[in-house]
Amino acid sequence: MSAAVTIIMIEDDEGHARLIERNIRRSGVNNEIVPFTSGTTALRYLFGNDGSGLEHKGEALLILLDLNLPDMGGIEILQRVKENKHLKSTPVVVLTTTDDSHEIKRCYELGCNVYITKPVNYESFANAIRQLGLFFSVIQVPPAAT
Amino acid sequence: MLVAISALSVLLVDRAREDNDWVVHTVEVENDISTLQLRIRTTESAARGYLLTEEQRFLDEYLDASSKVHSGIDALIKLSGDNPTQIRNFNEIREPVQARLDEFEKAIGFARRRDTAGGIAMLRSSDSGKATQRINDIAGRMRAEEERLFMLRTQTADRTERLASIVTVAGSGLVILLAGISIFLLRRSTRARDAAEAQLRDANLNLEATVDERTADLREANNEIQRFAYIVSHDLRSPLVNIMGFTSELEELRTDIFRRIGALHLAAAQSPVLVDAENSVEAALETEDKQLLDNFSEALEFIKSSIAKMDRLISAILNLTREGRREFEPVRIDTRELIEAIVTTVAHQASEAEAQIHIEPLPEITSDRLALEQIFSNLIDNALKYLKPGVPGGISVRGRTKLGFAIFDISDNGRGIDPKDHQRIFDLFRRAGLQDQPGQGIGLAHVRTLVRRLGGTMSVASELDRGSTFTVTLPINWNANRRNREP
Repeated sequence: MSAAVTIIMIEDDEGHARLIERNIRRSGVNNEIVPFTSGTTALRYLFGNDGSGLEHKGEALLILLDLNLPDMGGIEILQRVKENKHLKSTPVVVLTTTDDSHEIKRCYELGCNVYITKPVNYESFANAIRQLGLFFSVIQVPPAAT
Repeated sequence: MLVAISALSVLLVDRAREDNDWVVHTVEVENDISTLQLRIRTTESAARGYLLTEEQRFLDEYLDASSKVHSGIDALIKLSGDNPTQIRNFNEIREPVQARLDEFEKAIGFARRRDTAGGIAMLRSSDSGKATQRINDIAGRMRAEEERLFMLRTQTADRTERLASIVTVAGSGLVILLAGISIFLLRRSTRARDAAEAQLRDANLNLEATVDERTADLREANNEIQRFAYIVSHDLRSPLVNIMGFTSELEELRTDIFRRIGALHLAAAQSPVLVDAENSVEAALETEDKQLLDNFSEALEFIKSSIAKMDRLISAILNLTREGRREFEPVRIDTRELIEAIVTTVAHQASEAEAQIHIEPLPEITSDRLALEQIFSNLIDNALKYLKPGVPGGISVRGRTKLGFAIFDISDNGRGIDPKDHQRIFDLFRRAGLQDQPGQGIGLAHVRTLVRRLGGTMSVASELDRGSTFTVTLPINWNANRRNREP
């Protein structure tokens, strides 16, 4: 993964955030990770103060998204990102505890790129995150659209 | 009332007819008196005619008329036998009439002897005028009497008739009045009934509305519980991921810490050359440190196994709520075929337990296939799991129908269930008896929920060491009713 790609992690549970970060690092991914613990702050960062998303027009981003946030549903964030003309090509990885088939289907319909369920079993969890890290290292994030 | 009026009216009409008869009777009597007088005259004139002409014609006429005079009087007496005045009059009239007849007889006698002159003289000499006068007087009296009776009877008849007509009119009026009252009462009762009907209809509608409302409330409450269970179990998972994650991290740390302790020991005791060898590090730990490591590991293992258990429970709840939200689809099911398919899937378990599963002919029912599969596979699975060790298992599935319900019995010769646990085994997360089999205590709770959703009931009959029989009663024709309909 090119060094320019920034990972936006939207995860309200700090424990989860820490575990995710740790395991990503263990897989050898050293990209910058910008954590957010609420949907509102994440949206403000992504879309800027004017809400247009123009600020990140030139940047390569990758979004790690939890669906259960205290202030809003992760699906709403997914929807807004995919509707924004500057951000819609940004890959979104949904990483959540929900394994409800309706939820999964809905996320893919909205344009989510990868959907991963957080397993309680830590080995599976660590494994999933590390593989995700490996995935990050080979994934091609679209270059900044101009 | 009407009967009384009718009777009265009939009575009066009868009276009027009687009165009229009396009037007619009077007229008849009068008529007969006139006829009598006429006959006397006829007799007289016939006698005279014979006397003058001596023609046989007059003699015949005389004989005929005179014979009728007395019979006429007798008939009259008979006719007006009710009236003493008239009888007296008739008796009175008899005498002068007889006198006259005798005179005529004498005259006829003269005539027969060809003594016409003597006859004429006899007739002339006799005081015929007096007798005739008397006859006329008496007849006049009689006629007057009859006239009086006629007047009287006519009046009576008129009165009776008037009375009859009054009664009839009154009766008719009363009938009309009664009819009016009946119509009025009928109308009133009809109106009252209509009002009651309307009220009943309203009440029914209200009741339906109330039932709908309550049903909606219940459904809402049920949905809320489902959502609640879903969210709770879901949100419980989140911290569990952390607990499990950091416990695993602790495990890593433990390894690191004890490796360092071992290294330190080694460093202190010997040359540091052997430090990198893993085994030697473990071996290098002192007995006290080893004890610590074991305690550490034991604590972590307990935490991990508890988390795993909690995760299974949460998953079970999630599955139950998901199951509760699933829409049932009634289809025609050959139950025997369905249960045979289930038995095939547990064939391996059955042969391990040396169990025979016997399926008797079962009724076909209309129900949800997946739910039925879950119900029966749970029950058969349970029967296989809780057999008596060392005893070849015998499981049978029987079915019968009764009053629109199909009743299935799943019997085994297993270890049985203590009667005090019969209720408990259907509770979520509760189990009974020897806990030597894996399980969460969910199966029967789930089965009962499914059976209830399918409109059925289930029960158990069992004793310890005597085997168990689970009875499932399901409607033969189950259609997705409102319990299954989402609002």
